Amino acid sequence: MAPPVAVSPLIKTARYSALIVGIIYGKMRYDNLKPIAAEERRIEEEEKKIREEQERIAKQLREGSLVTRTHMSDDYNKTKYSRRLLNCTEKCTLIILSHTCVEKSDFFFLSSSQQVKTPF
Amino acid sequence: MAQAVQKMVAKVPTMIGAAVTYSKPRLATFWYYARVELVPPSPAEIPKAIEGATNLIKGFQSGRLGQTTVKDALRNGLVATEVLMWFYIGECIGKKGIIGYDV
Repeated sequence: MAPPVAVSPLIKTARYSALIVGIIYGKMRYDNLKPIAAEERRIEEEEKKIREEQERIAKQLREGSLVTRTHMSDDYNKTKYSRRLLNCTEKCTLIILSHTCVEKSDFFFLSSSQQVKTPF
Repeated sequence: MAQAVQKMVAKVPTMIGAAVTYSKPRLATFWYYARVELVPPSPAEIPKAIEGATNLIKGFQSGRLGQTTVKDALRNGLVATEVLMWFYIGECIGKKGIIGYDV
């Protein structure tokens, strides 16, 4: 076996200081990236919920089983809109749906679905 | 099924014995070299390391480094690459994983 080589001190210090710097760098980068990833996951969750809600409502509209609530005071607007929409096709309502907000209180139109009157 | 498991469990001590017998001389060789080559620098060696670094910089400034042979240059390049790899091993230890950050 060849005798072990005497390594120069410069190389030895360089190696071990590189090791320590690497450990510190890895730890700092990990601590930096962890909250960013948690934030992204949270935003993804919320967007997924909104998307699922929209899909569910679109599906219900397609099946014709959507139950909406309208303002009793909005009779004039309601008849104007509902008359206009009853003339539209199913596709038009879906397009209008995709351009409105997700909030349930905004659904004041209907095509072939039921309608329930509430006092608010 | 249970009999096969029992037979395997009975063989484990022999397997451990065989592994120890196999690895002992290799560990001895490793230790023989590592005790000299892989030890961290003692505090007395650090000034020598700084002196070596200044020598390097002076050599670079005076143009002496242009005189190195290709063989020497390749060897130094390999040593520098090895030192760089220690940095990446340190990073793997710091992030507690081998591939990617586990966030």
